[in-house]
Amino acid sequence: MKGFLEYVPGDSLLHKMNPVAKLAVSLLIIFACFITQSFVALIAILVLDYAFAAHCKMMPQTVGLTKAVAGFSAILALIALFTVPAGAVLAPLPWGYIGTGSILAAVRIVLRLVACAIPLFLTFYVTKINDISNALVKVCHVPYRYAFVFSSTVHFIPVFMNDMSGIMEAQTARGVEFDGGFAKKVRLMVPLCVPLLVSSVRKTNSAAIAAEVRGFNLRTRASGYKEYPFAGRDVCALALACALFAASFLV
Amino acid sequence: MIEISNLSFRYREGEDLALRNVSLTIPSGQFVGVTGAAGSGKSTLTYAINGIVPHCYPGDFYGAVRIDGHDTAETSLTDLSRLVGSVCQDIDSQMVSSVVEDEMLFGLENFGFPKDEIEGRVTRALADMGISDLRDRAISSLSGGQKQKVAVAAILAMEPAVLVLDEPTAELDPASSKGVFDLLARYARIHGTTVVVVEQKIALLSAYADRILIVKDGGVYLDGAPADVLAHADELRESGINCPRATSLANRLRARGLYAGPVCRNVDDAVAAVEEVIA
Repeated sequence: MKGFLEYVPGDSLLHKMNPVAKLAVSLLIIFACFITQSFVALIAILVLDYAFAAHCKMMPQTVGLTKAVAGFSAILALIALFTVPAGAVLAPLPWGYIGTGSILAAVRIVLRLVACAIPLFLTFYVTKINDISNALVKVCHVPYRYAFVFSSTVHFIPVFMNDMSGIMEAQTARGVEFDGGFAKKVRLMVPLCVPLLVSSVRKTNSAAIAAEVRGFNLRTRASGYKEYPFAGRDVCALALACALFAASFLV
Repeated sequence: MIEISNLSFRYREGEDLALRNVSLTIPSGQFVGVTGAAGSGKSTLTYAINGIVPHCYPGDFYGAVRIDGHDTAETSLTDLSRLVGSVCQDIDSQMVSSVVEDEMLFGLENFGFPKDEIEGRVTRALADMGISDLRDRAISSLSGGQKQKVAVAAILAMEPAVLVLDEPTAELDPASSKGVFDLLARYARIHGTTVVVVEQKIALLSAYADRILIVKDGGVYLDGAPADVLAHADELRESGINCPRATSLANRLRARGLYAGPVCRNVDDAVAAVEEVIA
């Protein structure tokens, strides 16, 4: 696995698609996941997600994402289990009951969140962040300033992560033991956020200056060197995603 | 090309002057090396030339800096950046893209270079820095030295009239440092570019620069051709700068009355001096 949101090179269909088309398809799939109430539809979308992942050779990373999202959504699923009294009563609670419908609601939450996380995850890993922001500027007429904020944010994540690990290493060298439970680690890391914040503000300021001395303020929509035309595959993918989106209202 | 008149500057949050009454004229095409101890004002001097001071770091600014006749205090930073290409000390902060190719394109796109020129400029600058193979690499996967080369290449691609570089070889090994200076010197000669480079390795400056400035306590302490500046070994030591070993050796021979020739700037000069002494 590469760094967080770091482009994974390849020559799959997903790699070759127009960045805006990829984003639009991802968003349509996400909307479909939230609109449909059908288990079959959610499982079908999940299968489609994994087919995409296998196609662009991102299967191990996608399995990792699935575990992480499933772990997070398990918390929401538990809340749903105890707060959505539906179906045949399985276990009475002082404020209601756990029913067959509660279990279905909990499972649906996990399935829905996993199914909608994978398309965006794949889009960000098979597309250079600059291509996403430049295509949004060129195709969707998003002001460059906002697109630059987005790409800079993603660009600085590994920089700040390196800074944090540097600060932690410095603390470890002074005898701080970060080994141990999650709560202990968080307690030890909280004070380190102050130097990280100071360093982040300084770096962000330097980056703004560096961008300005390289003509940032002269940038217009036409400045981008690369063009992002829609090809036949992009139109087909969008049409299929629209069909999926429409079908999600029916099932 | 660069005229600095009675320049003094104090950062808003600072108590002391970072630059004190600096006056300089750097003609077009000159390769100027700037060195001095930490905190002496070297970086602030480069900020004054590229306009970062006073545009981005406000404070008390006295005197004037003119680049090709444009007063840096009155010209916008964007307009100045058409003339002056800058490589900052903090390379990580200078990088605005996640991939090398995008980093190269950033300035070229912003300044609106014709699209049919851009590919040639990118390819040439990467090849000049010897990093053509890094074109599709993620910036975060590069070593410090590789990032510095990318930062220099991104500026060279724009072919500015003035190049200001703040310690461009800080994270490079000696061979790569020499390679960067070889390129800068060749580039400046071909394009008639004025180069102002802050560098701690005085041996590199003495080998490549037409002129060396020693900055001390915010002022220009010594200013001259490398041989003239290196002749002031005691003053350099007082300023926290060690002469190249070849220079120190010849100076010791001179102090003992064994050598009366010119100042040695490199190993070849030192070999000639020792041969002269032995003969």
